[in-house]
Amino acid sequence: MAESIYRALRDGALEGELAPALTIKDSVASPFALQVFSHVISQLFSSILAGKSQSRGLVVVSFSRSPSFYLDLLKNKGTDVASSNKQIQILDCYSDPLGWKDQLAGSRNFTALSNEAMVSSNAIVFREVKHMDKLYNSIIELGKDQISSIFWLLHSDLHEARVTAVLEYLSSIVASLEPSHQLANGQRGDLENFSLIKHNSKKGKFHVRFKKRNGRVRVMSEEVHIEQSGINFASLPSEGAINQGLVPKVQFSLQLSEKERIDKANVVLPFEHQGNGKPIQIYDGRRSLVDSKHERPVSAVENVQTNENCGSGEIIYYRDSDDEMPDSDEDPDDDLDI
Amino acid sequence: MAAAKTRTSTFSRNLSTAPPSHGPGLKCGPNGTVFLSSGIPDLDKILGGGFPLGSLVMVMEDAEAPHHMLLLRNFMAQGLVLGQHLLYSSPARDPRGFLGTLPSPAASKDDKSRERDPDQEKGLRIAWQYKKYFGENQLDGQRDGKHEYSNEFDLRKPLERHFINGPRIDCVSIQDSDLSTLRDRCATFLSQFPRNDGSISCAGRIAIQSFCAPQCAYSNMEWDMLSFIRSLKSMVRSSNSVAIVTFPPSLLSPSFCKRWQHMADTLLSVKAIQDEDKELAQLLTGYQDMVGFLNVHKVARINTQVY
Repeated sequence: MAESIYRALRDGALEGELAPALTIKDSVASPFALQVFSHVISQLFSSILAGKSQSRGLVVVSFSRSPSFYLDLLKNKGTDVASSNKQIQILDCYSDPLGWKDQLAGSRNFTALSNEAMVSSNAIVFREVKHMDKLYNSIIELGKDQISSIFWLLHSDLHEARVTAVLEYLSSIVASLEPSHQLANGQRGDLENFSLIKHNSKKGKFHVRFKKRNGRVRVMSEEVHIEQSGINFASLPSEGAINQGLVPKVQFSLQLSEKERIDKANVVLPFEHQGNGKPIQIYDGRRSLVDSKHERPVSAVENVQTNENCGSGEIIYYRDSDDEMPDSDEDPDDDLDI
Repeated sequence: MAAAKTRTSTFSRNLSTAPPSHGPGLKCGPNGTVFLSSGIPDLDKILGGGFPLGSLVMVMEDAEAPHHMLLLRNFMAQGLVLGQHLLYSSPARDPRGFLGTLPSPAASKDDKSRERDPDQEKGLRIAWQYKKYFGENQLDGQRDGKHEYSNEFDLRKPLERHFINGPRIDCVSIQDSDLSTLRDRCATFLSQFPRNDGSISCAGRIAIQSFCAPQCAYSNMEWDMLSFIRSLKSMVRSSNSVAIVTFPPSLLSPSFCKRWQHMADTLLSVKAIQDEDKELAQLLTGYQDMVGFLNVHKVARINTQVY
């Protein structure tokens, strides 16, 4: 599944669409985003060198690690960085992001330490991180061409919820790292928690949400192990959740046999034939009286109907049950109409 | 009760004047409301006829899926096909580009679905005491009047160009402009459809997409956005038009999210569906064809005492 992320970034933007954007976010409970980020960078760079990806170069904007970290990382993965000058450019926002060293050098006798000799020709120092426009322009200049894919690393604890929400809104893939075992709050001294903490420092869960073009969201999870040599992804062990079937097992049968089906079709339901234009007869249990009983309500209605369209409002009340002697028991079947 | 004309209710109104006739695309509803179609006939049915004129519809987007665009496309295309005026604004630099993706009305299918005998519904027969009051309603106004009010749209076919290039469409980009410019554009647009007691000649539609998107310069100014919505609601209420505003609720702080929801007359939300979710596939038939959920949270209650 980390494979799918890599493939999405490698394949880049399709015609007429926005480039894929990945957010990798973590928190203090499971702080492995940098390892994931390095993993993605090294995979992407090797595919760039091999010519398999849509993009032809990589621009790295480094804030929390020096450029040499990334160059060493790529060297360790076996890629030959020295000869691939054109294909990787690093914007160094780590050495002197706010331009303080320049200011110090200017104000008194201050010899700048010469660590900067280590900076290779790949890295360009950027000193004005506060000016977002300039940062943006420098990145675009280094990149030179259209952007094929973009990804960033985010520590969700360090930002307000709104900022994280905005970045997730803008990205097409969201990868988050969570601890395998949630720690119980406020019980630090517990033996059990110590072992959990120890577990959490070496592995975690990796959840990825892909926003697909048809509007669906693809959710995948894997387990992540951090080792000396790097990071390993493994599929999540299934948790053996109790999977109750959606149709509960009951003791009576819910299906109909053929004979039952025919019988059901033959049942005459009480109000079924109403609305067909025929006169409505209320069943009152005494069939012989049916005709005479109807005359009363019908005649009352008839006179009124001729006046219907004169423009006077009126109320017409149809009795539900036909004969209701004041002192008879209310028979609930009085208004059944079969 | 032999030749009784079936009544829809036990009251009949004292109608001295004939009801005013309205322009195309408008339908009279109960309590003197006039409806406008949303572009999706099924949604109109769920909402009780459509969107009432003068109401503000808000749609809560899902950050993970573009389903609100489907609602907007149908809404806008319906208005254009019926000759109603449209004001569209979006955070893109060039909102006109979106007009190219509007769908065209689907070729009308034959009305075989209407002739289905209600008693033969899939083997479920219902015995209902008040069925006799409803025989009339289902038949009138459903066949010929249908295409004058709402259409089904075919998303695969783009709308014909002469609809899009007409003088009735106005587009505003909200990426660089500020709220007062947008408010002025809405005000001039709505002044074309003042509400008075006579018949309505034409109606207007306003569609504002992704109102608090981060690309917009004002997206941090939550109180200003809220007051814009308030003034839009009052302008729309006194005119013959419907405004739809879509916004992603996760980008607002929780209290403002609630305030915006309370501002809406009709509140809808869209939600994405997870792909390859086996449980959902078992629960819902047609899971393969579905892309999302639409929730109706609130329906407009103008001109009514029903709560």
